Amino acid sequence: MAPLLEVRGLSVTYGSGGQAVRAVRGVDFTLDAGQTLGMAGESGCGKTTVALSLLRLLPASARLSGEILFKGENIIGLGWQKLRAVRWAEASVVFQGAMSALNPVRSIGEQICEPIVLHEKVGRRVAERRAADLLDSVGVPSARRASYPHELSGGQRQRVMIAMALACEPDLIIADEPTTALDVIVQAQVLDLMTSLVRDRQISMIVISHDLSVLAETCDRLAVMYAGRIAELGPSRQVLGSSRHPYTRILARAFPRMGDPGSRMAPAGLPGEPPDLREEITGCPFAPRCPEAVADCLTHEIELWPAGEQRLSACIKVLEGEPGGLQAHPAAEAVRDRAEPAGPAAEPANAGQPVLEARGLRVVFPARRGRGPARAVDDVNLTIGRGEIVALIGESGCGKSTLARALVGLAEPTGGEVRYAGAPLRYSGGALREHRRHVQLVLQDPAGALNPKQNVYDLVAEGPRLHGMRAGLTGRVHDVLARAGLRPPAQFVSRYPHELSGGQQQRVVIAGALALEPSVIVADEPVSSLDASVRGEILKLILGLRDQLSLAALIVSHDLGVAWNIADRVAVMYLGRIVEAGPVSEVLLRPRHPYTRALISVLPDASRDQPGRALAGEPPDPTNIAAGCRFHPRCPLHAALPAGDERAEQCRTTPVPVLPAAADGTATSLVACHLAGLDESALADRGQPSQTSRSLF
Amino acid sequence: MTATTQAPAPPEATPPRLIALRRFAGEFATRPTAVAGLAILVAVTVLALAAPLFIHASDLDVINAPGQPISPPSARFPLGTDYAGRSILPLLIWGARPSLAIGVIATALTMILGSTIGLLAGHYGGLTSKVLMAVTDWFIALPTLPLAIALAAVLGQGDTSITIAIAVTSWSATARLIRAQTLAVEARPFIERARALGARDDQLMVRQVLPNVAPFILVSATLTVAGAILTETTLTFLGLGNPTDVSWGAMINQAFFQGAVSAGAWWYILPPGIAILIVVLGFTLIGRAVENILNPRMGR
Amino acid sequence: MSSTSAPLSAQSLDALEVPPSGGASGARDFAHYLTRKLAAAVISFVMLLVLGFVIFSLMPSDPVESLTRGHATSARQMQFLIRQLGLNQPVWERFGHFVANTLQGHLGYSWQFETPVSTLVAQRLWPTILLMGSSTIVSILLGMWLGIHSGWRPGRVLDRVSTGTAITFWSVPTFWLGIILLVLLSTGFGPIPSLFPAGGMSTPGTPGGLTPAHILDVAHHLVLPCLTLVLVSFAQYQMIMRSSMVDEMGTPYLLTARAKGLRDAEVRRKHAVPNALLPSVTLIFLQVGTMITGAITVETVYSWPGLGYLTYQALQIPDLPLLEGTFIVFSASVIVFNLLADLLYRYLDPRVRRA
Repeated sequence: MAPLLEVRGLSVTYGSGGQAVRAVRGVDFTLDAGQTLGMAGESGCGKTTVALSLLRLLPASARLSGEILFKGENIIGLGWQKLRAVRWAEASVVFQGAMSALNPVRSIGEQICEPIVLHEKVGRRVAERRAADLLDSVGVPSARRASYPHELSGGQRQRVMIAMALACEPDLIIADEPTTALDVIVQAQVLDLMTSLVRDRQISMIVISHDLSVLAETCDRLAVMYAGRIAELGPSRQVLGSSRHPYTRILARAFPRMGDPGSRMAPAGLPGEPPDLREEITGCPFAPRCPEAVADCLTHEIELWPAGEQRLSACIKVLEGEPGGLQAHPAAEAVRDRAEPAGPAAEPANAGQPVLEARGLRVVFPARRGRGPARAVDDVNLTIGRGEIVALIGESGCGKSTLARALVGLAEPTGGEVRYAGAPLRYSGGALREHRRHVQLVLQDPAGALNPKQNVYDLVAEGPRLHGMRAGLTGRVHDVLARAGLRPPAQFVSRYPHELSGGQQQRVVIAGALALEPSVIVADEPVSSLDASVRGEILKLILGLRDQLSLAALIVSHDLGVAWNIADRVAVMYLGRIVEAGPVSEVLLRPRHPYTRALISVLPDASRDQPGRALAGEPPDPTNIAAGCRFHPRCPLHAALPAGDERAEQCRTTPVPVLPAAADGTATSLVACHLAGLDESALADRGQPSQTSRSLF
Repeated sequence: MTATTQAPAPPEATPPRLIALRRFAGEFATRPTAVAGLAILVAVTVLALAAPLFIHASDLDVINAPGQPISPPSARFPLGTDYAGRSILPLLIWGARPSLAIGVIATALTMILGSTIGLLAGHYGGLTSKVLMAVTDWFIALPTLPLAIALAAVLGQGDTSITIAIAVTSWSATARLIRAQTLAVEARPFIERARALGARDDQLMVRQVLPNVAPFILVSATLTVAGAILTETTLTFLGLGNPTDVSWGAMINQAFFQGAVSAGAWWYILPPGIAILIVVLGFTLIGRAVENILNPRMGR
Repeated sequence: MSSTSAPLSAQSLDALEVPPSGGASGARDFAHYLTRKLAAAVISFVMLLVLGFVIFSLMPSDPVESLTRGHATSARQMQFLIRQLGLNQPVWERFGHFVANTLQGHLGYSWQFETPVSTLVAQRLWPTILLMGSSTIVSILLGMWLGIHSGWRPGRVLDRVSTGTAITFWSVPTFWLGIILLVLLSTGFGPIPSLFPAGGMSTPGTPGGLTPAHILDVAHHLVLPCLTLVLVSFAQYQMIMRSSMVDEMGTPYLLTARAKGLRDAEVRRKHAVPNALLPSVTLIFLQVGTMITGAITVETVYSWPGLGYLTYQALQIPDLPLLEGTFIVFSASVIVFNLLADLLYRYLDPRVRRA
């Protein structure tokens, strides 16, 4: 049977003349009916361009060449009328960032009806009924079809996008980063929904994502792109598990698996930058950064060669019968990568008192029109010891960012206190300035965190200048730039932020923080907006700074992989409280709180065979905290208890005691749960609660 | 990763500020409308400043005017004569002086007042902002010309009252714009970073916010001058200027009320108006060009 | 990318419940909004009165002097005038009288016309409304159409030509343009004959009332002043609409609309324009102030018997009570228009509506 989609030699160039960007350089792949294909890669690799070119949705300045055969017809040469008929009716798109992809001033029902009325020439009534059915099928109550996009949550908006994409019963759905801006649990819900819908209706799907593990979970086949070409193509588990291209292998390692000792305390990155797409590239575009490159790589014409059963790879090593830079044992690899020792032992013995503490910390945002007061941080005890890296994990709305800011002194607590080196923080101008010398902040968006009007020198010197530290300023600036990995410093000092890459920008931010010689760095999602390969480099940097300067760090993140990569201890936060805290090996391998378990279980993971288990419901609202245990409305353990069980009553009415700060160097974790350690089978049996530790492997 | 401490590097060859300025100038030079605007303004300013060198008091004297009233252009009077018989050409050149002077001074006052209020209102939220913005919004609502007329009438005829009237009616638009830009800038993470590094309020406003808001102040200033000159000529046309002063608005006033319309005296009516048009256009083109350079999204 | 969904706007478990019907809470919210805006308008008006008082009653050095300039006046007559004008009373009393009078519609007594100001205002109100109304409507329609189409394809011929023309007309002094048009089309210049009357609102001798002859006559007189105002005003509406459209062009939901298979013109009409209109509407209403400015000069040039010409006439002495009266009337109308703009915007934008 002919494939549904056949792409041959697709090339896309933006602009013209000297500034022309060759975003896609000769891409070939096919897709059969009912199949799913994932396209992975980092920013600028061309995956979104390929996706949009399938329906010719690129801006007018883009020029396409090659063939895109959709059901036998070449999209590239298709007339406008036919193209418009194909759009949505036969192939539709789910865009990322549903808030901006949906028209903010029209109701969601109207927007779903629009393509139905346009393509199927049915009346308004019929279209509305179909729209209502579609909303129900994606889990958004059809009663809400008159709502506007801003009245829905992020997860609901993405579901609306999916419903809209299904409206005309297409044969192909193209999903461009469909879950990128969502929380992990919502992400799991949406992915489950997409895969089941697509399977039931026999729709083909192309999913674009930078997140390899998401693609491995949802797609049959996977294509990895680099610098406008496909580097490797094949069944997704095999591409990740036994890569036949060095880039794929390195990229896969940037998504660490929980419990894999090879990635513990060993973040994997890729130094260097992708090539400039305005230039002609001879040979393999990855060769300059490739650890396995040979002389031929730069001269030989690169194609996708067969590399196994249904597999293709663009690495010349497959021509010689070598598996194309295939792995040695991953753990050994990781050992090879770790040039420096891992630093202090896994459970560092804290000399003396903790360097930064939160004691009984509360931050309440006052009531505003339309909502009540929000208890963003609701009684938290947390310590960070000297030279220790603590990860603070939670979804959006849990208060982790607020807690981070309170620790840095940017948010004044409503109750409790912050202590540095044992002394409570006072909120006068002078005391706060002093505090800044000890505790510094690194933010999520490095481009936004740098004043575009200042060059690198001024940006890094800003801190010392504000504190009057003018002596030897130039030397200090160069010193910290070198420590942050920007070498030689003289090459960077006169550049402006927009001339730097994301990774370089974040290094400047870190250098600026280091310039004040702090003892602790609080980093709020420091790598979330960076590409996967760069992420590893920045995490390596933080780990390295800990080793050299005994710099402690609090890393706030939604990503458990970050905790696994570089943290000594981890605290999991939910609705303003810490629900579980302890050494990383304990909490992440033997989680006892049902929320932690849920977070871990929804991680897309290619090596596990059992499906993830997503929690029901939406991320919680700090203005509306449930009585008793604040997690009980979503808790699967609570739900598994038989009705009338007195433990269920306890969960509903008795608040859980606040966790004290983790005791120094203890090997067990603390957990805030009435039913800690139990699993569902034990509850349903009403047998003895057994402390079964759930290991994941 | 081993850290090596490097010896302090020698100071940079080209100060980074200069690089940015050169870049801006380069961008500016590629836009023909901007260059045209700049050329116009330079020419007019030079003429206005140099006027006393070649225009004598006798050219401006109403009493002993050399020619016949409202006579067409001739060799002696290249642009004809006005209602008193003076040659129009030197009057035209001299008329640039009050317009430019009042325009620039009024704009300077407007910018200082408007930017300060906008910056303060944007930076300090709460009561300060609410009060400042309430006053600003109210001033914006006041229609410009009636207020300017009222002020000028009450303060008496003359350049000072016109300048004050223009400043009072223009500052609020600037304040609102600068406040909006201040809010936009302060929402960006680098402000939070500066706070985390230890900046106080005044340091934040001057070191972080102001450089990012400065382009908007510049754009606003050029467009304000354009509006100020239009207002000034309107007020002098309506008779509120200094009666003995020679200005473009006064010339058009005299032309109109002395019957140049029915006489078809195009040489009297056209030149002052075209002069105003050219100067205002010059400022407007420059303002728009600067805005485009600083905000490429808007398209050329 | 990390999770960016705003925590405080996410629905919790009641996400699955049916929301309250838009009607009930919507009406209550609107009543709140209306009250707030009305209160603000009233406060603005009070402050306007204060400003008017300060300018016209407190600032002038000696109104009696200006009134009697040129006339021989005895000391007793001066005293009488002082008492009549209330100049011997304390400031608060004078302000109180002023407010009370204004609210009742007594705006003072014109020095030169020797008629109550309110009478004069009432007489001259309709011509100004006619002139401003017609020119505003035409300017808005013309400006918005040009703005939509030039903003849809920025940089193309239509954009460049219309933007250039608009900027040029905006830079022209209104009164001068009026004079030029007068010369060209009324006096006639060269081959162009006299097409339109030289001023006034109607030709003396035509019967008044709502007869077709009268309406045509007024329309004939209206053309030039209206044209003048339109030419200098359409530019700002065009610029506002154009920049609104350019902003919309960058939005992702237009790509969604294209992906659905809509034609270019449909994408523009159904998605881009409605969204671009929203910010434009308020801005356009706020331009009313500049229309008033234009009206004053145009009426003067064309001797159009409206409030603007009245203002010019008031400048001659200066006739302070008359000036004050026109100032208050103009400013109050702008306050009213701003209030209407706020209400209209709220009605149009669902994001603001539910807030």
